[in-house]
Amino acid sequence: MIDINSKINSFFIFNSTFGPKEGEELKRILFFHPNQVTADARKIQVGLCEAVVKFMSTFSSEPCEALQTQTKRYIFFQPEKNYWMVLVVRLPYPTKSMSSIAEKRGDMIQPVMMQNLLVTAYKMFRMFVGLFSDIPAEDIYTKCQQFFTPYILSRNITNDVTNVIQGINYLPLEKNSFFKVVCFIDLLEINYSDFKCIAFIYNEQLIWNGLSTDDMLTLYQYLVQSLLPKQVEKEIQGGAVTAAQRHGRFISPPDGIHTLDDIQKLVKVYLKLEDDTETKQYYLIIYRTLSATICLTVDAKKTLELETFRSLDAFIGPQLYNIASTVSEQCTVHALQNAQLANTENKFIYFNRLNLAFKTSAPINTLTPSAAIKPEVLTIIAELHSDRKSLGNYGEIIIKTLDEYWITGKSSNEREFYVVIQKKNANIIEVAEEVKQICEAQMKGIFFYPI
Amino acid sequence: MVKFSLKDSDVYYLSLSEQPKRFDADSPVTNVFFDDTNGQVFTVRSGGVTGVTVNSMDKSKCTSFRMEDKGPIISIKFSLDQKVLAIQRNHDGQTATVEFVNFKDLAPTNVEYMHTCKWKCAKILGFVWPKANEIAFITDHGIELLQVLPEKKQLKTLKSISFSGAWFSWCSRSNIVVLASNNGALLQPFFFNNSTITKLQKLELDSSRPVGERDVFILQLCEATWCAIFRHGTSANMSAPLPTEIWLMPISGANGVQHTHILKTGLIGRFALSVVDDLVAVHHQSSQTSQLFDIMEELKVDNNTMIHLPIVPGHSIKPAVVDDQFCPMYSGNWVVFQPDYIIDARLGCLWRVNLIPEGLAHSVQKDDIPKIIAVLLRRKDGVETIYRILNQLVLEVNTYLVELTKSFDEINSVYRKWVDSEVARNTAGVAGAGAGAGAEAWRGRGRAVLTQSDVCTRLLQPHADHDRIVQVVSAYVWSLCAHGLTAGPGLAALCVRALVTRGARGRLRALLRRGALADARPLACQLLSLGHLDPAAAQLALDMMWRLRAREEIVEVLLSSNEPISAVGAAKQMDEATWLGLSPRKLLEAAKTFAEENGQPGAFVAVYHALLGRNERLRGSPHFLKGEQCDSYIEYYNKVTSER
Repeated sequence: MIDINSKINSFFIFNSTFGPKEGEELKRILFFHPNQVTADARKIQVGLCEAVVKFMSTFSSEPCEALQTQTKRYIFFQPEKNYWMVLVVRLPYPTKSMSSIAEKRGDMIQPVMMQNLLVTAYKMFRMFVGLFSDIPAEDIYTKCQQFFTPYILSRNITNDVTNVIQGINYLPLEKNSFFKVVCFIDLLEINYSDFKCIAFIYNEQLIWNGLSTDDMLTLYQYLVQSLLPKQVEKEIQGGAVTAAQRHGRFISPPDGIHTLDDIQKLVKVYLKLEDDTETKQYYLIIYRTLSATICLTVDAKKTLELETFRSLDAFIGPQLYNIASTVSEQCTVHALQNAQLANTENKFIYFNRLNLAFKTSAPINTLTPSAAIKPEVLTIIAELHSDRKSLGNYGEIIIKTLDEYWITGKSSNEREFYVVIQKKNANIIEVAEEVKQICEAQMKGIFFYPI
Repeated sequence: MVKFSLKDSDVYYLSLSEQPKRFDADSPVTNVFFDDTNGQVFTVRSGGVTGVTVNSMDKSKCTSFRMEDKGPIISIKFSLDQKVLAIQRNHDGQTATVEFVNFKDLAPTNVEYMHTCKWKCAKILGFVWPKANEIAFITDHGIELLQVLPEKKQLKTLKSISFSGAWFSWCSRSNIVVLASNNGALLQPFFFNNSTITKLQKLELDSSRPVGERDVFILQLCEATWCAIFRHGTSANMSAPLPTEIWLMPISGANGVQHTHILKTGLIGRFALSVVDDLVAVHHQSSQTSQLFDIMEELKVDNNTMIHLPIVPGHSIKPAVVDDQFCPMYSGNWVVFQPDYIIDARLGCLWRVNLIPEGLAHSVQKDDIPKIIAVLLRRKDGVETIYRILNQLVLEVNTYLVELTKSFDEINSVYRKWVDSEVARNTAGVAGAGAGAGAEAWRGRGRAVLTQSDVCTRLLQPHADHDRIVQVVSAYVWSLCAHGLTAGPGLAALCVRALVTRGARGRLRALLRRGALADARPLACQLLSLGHLDPAAAQLALDMMWRLRAREEIVEVLLSSNEPISAVGAAKQMDEATWLGLSPRKLLEAAKTFAEENGQPGAFVAVYHALLGRNERLRGSPHFLKGEQCDSYIEYYNKVTSER
């Protein structure tokens, strides 16, 4: 496990057009982490990046992505024109022999992970604050400060497969229970026509998605990585909460909605609903009973009445309680199946590029490091995943590492599948045969070629 | 609580026949008799001397004739084939005799004869015609079943059973007679069948509460025969007697276990019963209302009894018009016969009672809508009303989504049973008996069934532009799934269109992933065509084709998505025949396009070599046939390989 905070050298955002004249360099820096870096040091770092980015633009129409020096790696991300986000990590010093470098490779943070971190940070910002370009110049410094400081500090990114392949963990709910959820949502939306249900999550697994896939990933990450863990912690600690928990409650704002002031505390988000063409601003309302969480949106222009929330609470509470119980029964069954999966020696990762469904035989929650995928193997998977050309739309690659790991990557019909097998003295035919069996077991009923 | 009211529906759910059968009214010189077996009204003027008129709803059973007045008539009835008229008269001291007159073409012949029952001193309580040429004398000594031999002018005893009864009740539909003995505390049913009499399980009542003749009816209801008994409330306090209940006790029925049904009227006074479309209509005179009970309701069986309440609050029968004016309803002159005859002897009218299905939905508590749908599903003419209700629920779905969902459940639980019976019929190998016989048999039993294609065309399709169609379709598909059914091709196509146009593609994919829409090639193609809007739909289309083993289609899809190598690989892997059957030109063309577009001549070479191998296997030689027209590709191959 590598704590990213010890590795992050700095994270900053700049826009060169903000202070074009000499002496105004600091204006260009919208945000800089860590905070204790002096103004001069900031200027130097940002200046270097500005120069590199500008310099590279003469060679390619594509924006510059990365810069690597002997000691540092810079990852660039330009989410909006002229706005650059940069993440800098320190590299381990190269040692003399090549083999030890190869060993060390695994300890390094993957470029794809750094890229993901930047993209996720930006999307999170966009969801909660909006586009950089929509924020008035005088506000942008404080807004960035308010958002990114806690965000960066809360990130605890480890070398885990979930950070390499960012996906959504869907709950494979049997159809009658699924319909129960859907019809509950329909009834809710019909009775409260201003409200739209955008997500239904059980534990950390998504059941219903009413957003564009991209925004869903961001919201999902926000819920699963930040909001829900805090809630769960609260639920475990507070005995008083358990009674309320049965009946359900609004968890955003954290203390619920009891007064008009609480409505003012509701979070506003920018989201694109499923099959909608544009991003709009909404109030984000989150309600939770037992382990079921639903997210509702209301157009941010609407005036909200306290009475509506009271009635909504009375409506959702009992119904959601019922549904949560049904789902929980099913989950018990799933948990048993998953336990069997985790027991298998061979590890696989499944990813659907279209709905971002992500499934792995290794426990998602990496409490037991031994079950996690070895860093060097992860590096290979990260490379296969991030470079779509290596697998193509329909393709297969088998790679063997020095210490007898066989990594098979396959892609077909917009899905990716990776299998990791550790076997001494195996040959490629045996490995291919084993992969085929795992594929057949995991890919029942879908078109996945070549098997 | 919101009340649902079906648009353009009348408040009445029962009516009398529009054209009553008219006959001469009861008067000092006229006597009126009704035979519920044949449904005939006999009007006897001056003992028959000035004429007997026979009226019936069935025109072929109407006639008139004259006969001699041999004394006051107690009962007069035709045999089932209308060839013998039997008359029972009130002669002092000679009560055990019935007279017979042979008829030809509904006109009397001069052939007349008499028969005296075997128990000479017995009193004939009545007689019935269980079969065309069989008559049963019901006496206080027992029952004698006789065969009538009109040509020989005599009767032959077939079977007799001794039983001491005080009065009887007869049901012509089930050929069951019930004799009461022990002052009405014991009811003994007998069944006429195969020219014999069978004694059935007796019904014993609480001896402290015996029943009278006018409180017992034998009904045929829901393919079973029941003894209906009015249990008038007894109470110590006579000024506030308890309301009357109707007990339906099973006498015989096809399906084994039956329990007693108790119909709670909540009223006291005079009642009469009709059976209309397997519903029990309880007419109450003083309140001028009729209540409807459905004994097929699914209720909890408690202590082997099932307690029913009226399906809708009681309401009067729709006022009938006689001679251009409204006639008195629930009049004291009314006599109600089984199953659904009502006679007003004073007015000279014979009516039948009809059900107006839409009336049941005129004013319904919101929560009761699914129950009404269930009731209508068990009626012969319920389907139209069901569709009207459903259409209205869909239009007002913002109020009625829950009720609509539950109504779908009622509909699909019947549909499921129908599907099962169809499957059973087909597997039993009687398919030759004619397709659709199952549905007919089903409807013949007075049941409605709304199949998914019916619901599609009559409900969902017309509302395809409704802004809540997504929710309606989801509710319907859910209900199908909950009953273990999947959406077939027609519904699936509609579902796809509705969900895609209403911006619910995610929901569509969720339904597909969970197999709520049945796999089918047309559905796969429809999804594939959505691929340009929604790549995920195309992904699922390929999955579906794979499950359907639609190999050629998969190869086509891969070729059209510019994946020639995968197409060849997939074809080779899936199935020998598919691979050997593919046109080489098509593959080579796709490979060439791919190679040129991507600057990968290797792709073309790979496909080309695979095909050479195939030729070798097929024909023992790697060369293409002339007819395959591959010359240009051979050239291209040579060019590409020489460049290398």
